[in-house]
Amino acid sequence: MQIEVRGVSKRYGKVRAVGNASFSVEEGQLLVILGPSGCGKTTLLRLIAGLETVTSGTIHIAGREVTDLPPDKRNISMVFQSYALFPHLSVRENIIFGLKVRKVPGQEIERRLARVIDLLGLGDRLDSKPGELSGGMRQRVALGRAIIAEKPVTLMDEPLSNLDAKLRNSMRREICSLQRRLGIGMVYVTHDQIEAMTMADRIVLMRDGSIIQDDVPENFYEQPANTFVARFIGTPPMNIIPLCATTGGAALEPGGEILFPGIDGNRFKLGIRPENIRIAEQGRPAVVTGQEYLGSDTFIACEINGHELIVRTRGRKTMLEGTRVHLTWDPHTLCLFDAQTEQRLESLPPGRKEG
Amino acid sequence: MTPSRLWLQLETVAAWLLGILWALPLLYAFWAAFHPAAYAVKFDLAAPLTLANFIEAWTTAPFARYFVNTILYTTMTTALQFVLCTLAAYAFACHDWKGKDLVFSLILIQLMVMPDQLLVVNYQTMTALNLVDTIPAISLPYIASAFGVFLLRQNFKQVPIALAEAARVEGAGPLTILLKVYVPLSKAVYLAYGLVSISWHWNNFLWPLVITNSVTTRPITVGLSIFGSPENGVNFAIVSAGTLMSVAPLLIGFLLFQHQFVHSFMRAGIK
Ligand SMILES: Nc1ncnc2c1ncn2[C@@H]1O[C@H](COP(=O)(O)OP(=O)(O)OP(=O)(O)O)[C@@H](O)[C@H]1O
Ligand SMILES: [Mg+2]
Repeated sequence: MQIEVRGVSKRYGKVRAVGNASFSVEEGQLLVILGPSGCGKTTLLRLIAGLETVTSGTIHIAGREVTDLPPDKRNISMVFQSYALFPHLSVRENIIFGLKVRKVPGQEIERRLARVIDLLGLGDRLDSKPGELSGGMRQRVALGRAIIAEKPVTLMDEPLSNLDAKLRNSMRREICSLQRRLGIGMVYVTHDQIEAMTMADRIVLMRDGSIIQDDVPENFYEQPANTFVARFIGTPPMNIIPLCATTGGAALEPGGEILFPGIDGNRFKLGIRPENIRIAEQGRPAVVTGQEYLGSDTFIACEINGHELIVRTRGRKTMLEGTRVHLTWDPHTLCLFDAQTEQRLESLPPGRKEG
Repeated sequence: MTPSRLWLQLETVAAWLLGILWALPLLYAFWAAFHPAAYAVKFDLAAPLTLANFIEAWTTAPFARYFVNTILYTTMTTALQFVLCTLAAYAFACHDWKGKDLVFSLILIQLMVMPDQLLVVNYQTMTALNLVDTIPAISLPYIASAFGVFLLRQNFKQVPIALAEAARVEGAGPLTILLKVYVPLSKAVYLAYGLVSISWHWNNFLWPLVITNSVTTRPITVGLSIFGSPENGVNFAIVSAGTLMSVAPLLIGFLLFQHQFVHSFMRAGIK
């Protein structure tokens, strides 16, 4: 196990930035810490790096307890959100800064530098100052500085958030393939669920300082721990609608067709992904309230009993507002959430009926 | 012509007038120094040019020694200020410790105290240290410059913390971070502060006059004042030549670093 975080908390006075976080990163694994702004991702990463001290809990890196060690004794390298390149040093000096500080012999520095330049394609910019480089290039230099240290663990705090969408896509792939090739363990902080889903071997999702779910990416999509996760992952997010109690079970509307017989509808919420709903000849009656055309897909907003449902359809569809349609879905794709705790129920109550 | 343009032209004229008025003494010194003594109070374009005044001034007073003293004193002061203010500013800008705010406000209070007020106390201290009439004695009262600490602290605070953190993760200790990150990023401020400090101490008069009383320690300002004092009989031509010699290094320096100089004073809010 490369990194192990056990029961780590961090308080700033009254503010609890991270509360009782536990997770681990296996060797060569890419773990993404995901969550909305202000949830404590950066704080958690800085705790692992040793730039902040824990209020309680322990951190192990490569089997050694590092909780009270300074950053340079933790065997890690780090990429900062702002890149943190030294403006007065050339690209070459920036990359080898750490090696020179650690008094690595000159020959060894040259050998490692040649390799990193080769990996990142920085050959012709070695003598430029960071200020003369484009955002993507600066990002590469920051990566280079982290890689050349040859540490078993690299920490990254939203390294792509300052790049435009296109560059972000290509850098994302580049970072991923680098990480695989070098076999380093990586903790990668982002608030972008697409980055998380595409890059991660494992995702830790945080909210208000606590870990909500720690799982492989596909489970975040298919088995979200609660309604927060369900709505955080996926664009558009999962539809969550409260159920109603009706004689004999739970339905979408009072007196409507029973979806889950024999359960108290008031205690549950229904969740369904937009791509799992189809517009058909038969099914739940609904009214179209709007649409969004994205090129490959069209999102159609419908309303059932005052609750909005987004339906994802392939290609271009034109539906006037107010059109009456019927919605249908495969019951396997339904999720059921507890209305009070917002937690997903692991198994659907028995006796469910085709929708 | 619109009123605002008229105003602008008035301003230009006023600026020129003030400038000329301010430069007159210097211009007069140039005139007197390069002409025979007879022309010191008589303006005549046809007057013959001469260097005799300079030669006479140079030979009648130990100017060479005075120059050496001034250079020793100003470089020593500025160098020690750099070291001390850098370390203090680093402590104030980048580290947290108990009582930091209190100590910093004490330092700011020092900004309000004119050095001349401390003349007597400083003299007593130098006597106690047995340093009266030495070059270090001229420097010592100035090396813990509150102004320098304040200026550098403000500048260090503008350096992104992430840079220091990145250096820390790479294995740099506090001193390496200071020397490899903060100091190089503040080069412009060091230059500006150095220029201000050198020019200020080059021209410093009162304290050196009090603390020195021999040729081997006297800086040029004090030497010049003795040279130009009435007991020796006033010869304006020779005094002007001596004055020009003593300000020449500063004048040349100013012409070379004009841009940084003006900039630094604007930035520093003038001390
Ligand atoms: N040095 C600090 N002093 C006081 N509070 C802090 C400090 N650092 C972070 N916090 C608080 O801790 C909480 C978590 O902050 P953190 O920066 O870790 O969030 P984040 O998930 O990285 O957010 P973002 O996506 O905006 O970067 C916030 O409420 C923040 O105000
Ligand atoms: Mg952050």
